[in-house]
Amino acid sequence: MLYTNGEGEFRGSKDDWDLAAQIAEKCVEFKADDEDELVADEAVSCYNCRYRRWTVRSFACLNKAGFIWTV
Amino acid sequence: MRILVSIDDTDTVKVDNVDVRGTGEMAQLIAKSIEDNGWGSCQPITRHQLLIHPDIPYTSHNSSMCFAANIESTYLNPLIDFAADFLACESAPDSDPGLCIAIIDRISRPGWLISFGYMAKNYVLTKENAYDLAEKLGIHLSEHGGTGQGVIGALAGAGLRLGGNDGRFKGKLKLKTKDNTITTGKICSQSQVDIVKCLETGAVLHDDELVLLGDWVKTILHYGQAVLPVSPVNEIGTGSPGWKTYSKKQMKDF
Repeated sequence: MLYTNGEGEFRGSKDDWDLAAQIAEKCVEFKADDEDELVADEAVSCYNCRYRRWTVRSFACLNKAGFIWTV
Repeated sequence: MRILVSIDDTDTVKVDNVDVRGTGEMAQLIAKSIEDNGWGSCQPITRHQLLIHPDIPYTSHNSSMCFAANIESTYLNPLIDFAADFLACESAPDSDPGLCIAIIDRISRPGWLISFGYMAKNYVLTKENAYDLAEKLGIHLSEHGGTGQGVIGALAGAGLRLGGNDGRFKGKLKLKTKDNTITTGKICSQSQVDIVKCLETGAVLHDDELVLLGDWVKTILHYGQAVLPVSPVNEIGTGSPGWKTYSKKQMKDF
């Protein structure tokens, strides 16, 4: 399953809470962002990760080393 | 004198296991220095979300941080010098920090500053836009590294704080409860919350109404007040709380 739209952007937009949590659970590089920047109720979620950079539609991962793009 | 201190673009994404302070922490340290130096007293910091756009260089979320303070006028220039040096020395190496310090009662056209804040939430603005307005309004605006692009967000943050209707307060509320249930009156007496409000209905809770606290209790800046937003609890039993605080998901749009 592809998690990105081909431009390094998460396919799940800003509201696919389950998928963002699933990916982060498998990511060895997940690092929680500052407390003030958390948005997901799931503690481990790409949406809460220090390496996510919000985009207009979604986010991009700035830590390609750890990001699991496909499974 | 009452002032607004606003900063932006002081950080970068943490890389190579090197810790980078967030902009919120930088604002907190400036506020702490004001109080430690005996220059004045500071109010809580607010975080203001600005526009996410491909043409805007930002680290990860494009937000600015602002706080209000009450200082003796003789300390204004020392504060500006201190904050400027602090940003220049302590901001992340690849960041583009900006500093705005506005004397609230001397802002000649407050509405223009507030409008700039909302413009920065919706349009791509330039440094020239920011400097032009700051000069017209008599506001200190300066850059302290990199491209200095942070002056846009710094000025916008001051405008949004002045407007009193944008952003959320930095940090979580720490309230003493036995079972995560607390009355509205105790929430307000134990913290800097002004009111507890259901934003869906506009209802302002009475002091004796019970609120169930979640694990991430935060306040927003709403009509000039620190407001704890709550939602109704669907099933209300006798003596059980009728309201619960917002989850992170509910707070994300503030």
